[in-house]
Amino acid sequence: MLERRLLIVSGKGGVGKSGVSAALGILAARRGKRVLVLAMIQPSGLAAHLGVDSLTYEPTRIRPGLFAAAVDRSHALEEYLGLQLHVPRSLPMRQLSNALSVLADTAPGIREIVTIGKPIFEVLRGEWDLVIADAPPLGQLQSYLSAPQTITGLVPMGAVREQASRFESTLADPSISGLLLVTTPEELAVLETREAIAQIDAERQILIAGVVANRVLEPLEVESGAVDAVSDGPPRDAGLLHTGLVESQAVWLRSIPDDPRLPFLFGFHTPAEVSERLAEICESFA
Amino acid sequence: MSRETTTVIVTGAGGVGKTTISAAVAIRLAGSERRTVVMTVDPARRLADALSLHSLANEPSPVPDVTGLWASTLDASASWEGVVHRYSDPDVAERLLKNHYFRAIADRFPAAQSFAAAETMAMMIESGNWDAIVVDTPPSAGGLDFFLAPSQTAELIGGKLIRWLTGSQLPGRRFLYRFTGRPILKIADTILGGPLLEDVAEFLLDLRTMYDQLAARAETIKRHQQRATTLVATTADPAPVAEVLRFFEELTEVSVEPAAVILNRALPLEWTTASRQPIRGIPDPELRAILKANLIRWGGEARRQATAMEGIADRYGVPLITVPWVADSPTTVEGLGQLLADVDGLDPLITDD
Repeated sequence: MLERRLLIVSGKGGVGKSGVSAALGILAARRGKRVLVLAMIQPSGLAAHLGVDSLTYEPTRIRPGLFAAAVDRSHALEEYLGLQLHVPRSLPMRQLSNALSVLADTAPGIREIVTIGKPIFEVLRGEWDLVIADAPPLGQLQSYLSAPQTITGLVPMGAVREQASRFESTLADPSISGLLLVTTPEELAVLETREAIAQIDAERQILIAGVVANRVLEPLEVESGAVDAVSDGPPRDAGLLHTGLVESQAVWLRSIPDDPRLPFLFGFHTPAEVSERLAEICESFA
Repeated sequence: MSRETTTVIVTGAGGVGKTTISAAVAIRLAGSERRTVVMTVDPARRLADALSLHSLANEPSPVPDVTGLWASTLDASASWEGVVHRYSDPDVAERLLKNHYFRAIADRFPAAQSFAAAETMAMMIESGNWDAIVVDTPPSAGGLDFFLAPSQTAELIGGKLIRWLTGSQLPGRRFLYRFTGRPILKIADTILGGPLLEDVAEFLLDLRTMYDQLAARAETIKRHQQRATTLVATTADPAPVAEVLRFFEELTEVSVEPAAVILNRALPLEWTTASRQPIRGIPDPELRAILKANLIRWGGEARRQATAMEGIADRYGVPLITVPWVADSPTTVEGLGQLLADVDGLDPLITDD
């Protein structure tokens, strides 16, 4: 999972994308890679999961080998025009970026290409062994993944189009880029994940590198009905809640690929503790 | 109408159980002999089945087995078509609906679904058909967009691009060619590789004709929102709790004051103390050990929840209403009715009698 150059991490809102992104970043850095973890949209839980107050557009060094940054649109747009499209500095850059910024509010694909362009650009720059993108939730992911095609469909020629087709082929190259889907074993999260898998498989924009089920509960080692038979009180109530949740999780786990599963972490309080622990757990499969 | 329409807005981050809580609130209102409608956004399939919602439709349909309850599922595209037809000239409307930027805006503008929801709510209130309306909000920006969308939409339609291109006055179509002659646009088009800006500008000009009416409409929608009872739903997980804080910080902008925070999937705090006491009444030592270890884990979670929620309700002066964590989210109207039956403090907020 960490052998490619770009790993995009997405999933339904609230399933723990940022925690998994941070954990994989920590793990890869521990293995000696030079890693950049990018929060693609705001607000993101990424800073908290990396144990810092906030992230900026300039990468912050979190620990040896691990850097993190947050994409904001106006910086990304400037970089897109200057560094990516090589618009000459002699041109009135401010006005130009104004024009494009208002255009981005209206024309399909511009906002998205600037945002998805950032992690791809970082990969193409060659400064990092691995770029991990804490991506927008599934509901919006499709418009980001298809932004390069949207642009090439809309713009007949020119630098924007060329850059868009470079992005398109980088995303589609399975030796460079992969998508990791995070889900929890619950109805809405699993159904959205399955829909996304079907759509991405059909459109072939990017390789799906894995589907990770997060917050999976371990069954209690008791005979069925044993908890029910216990007399009333908190031990029984907590036991029934646990076995009931395990049962309903099992239904949803059956309908996603049998990929790595991350446990529900009891007793972890801060986001930074969660990602540290997840990094240890990911050691076994990533 | 014998009394004013009661409007309840259930908002909060995605995945906290907003739609379930909305449906449960609506069932309670219908149970108090109010002709009630619940407007859902993207309900889970089993919940949709329970409410007999089988397709997107802004038009409510009756919920089987619950007297006085109707339900609908937001159809954002249809709402936008409605908006265009209501607020622009017929020929402009036709041009807009055919324009491919229009679809892009309706689908991608983050607040578009939220605006559609707010507009649909307003129309339901104005129809005079309902004693009670329960609105489930789109998850965009943790539910905030539902409240901010009316102004944002007017701003979008007002056209940052148009204003930037032409100054504050609304230009006629014949000016289009004059301002696209601006050198900066020539450069932009060279880079973009096509007459993209011109296309967009033409589209925005059409959209701009709706501005005045839409801006007035946004004010009306905001007043409806301010009069409604707003419930902020959350779980004790860090991400939704952060959204709740943001919600309170930013809602003052639109003068909306939430009536309560609803903590969904709440664990009993007494599990924390119970897990420290010896367990009686389970003779089998192995089973006893397993259930004790399990109670200690969940007791720790109960403690974590209490810590996460500490101070939120107090800080903002609103009650905290807790809805217990049930293993299987209710998917029948009976189950939905029971979800809130023993919940303290909710009924006085949603019914004024």
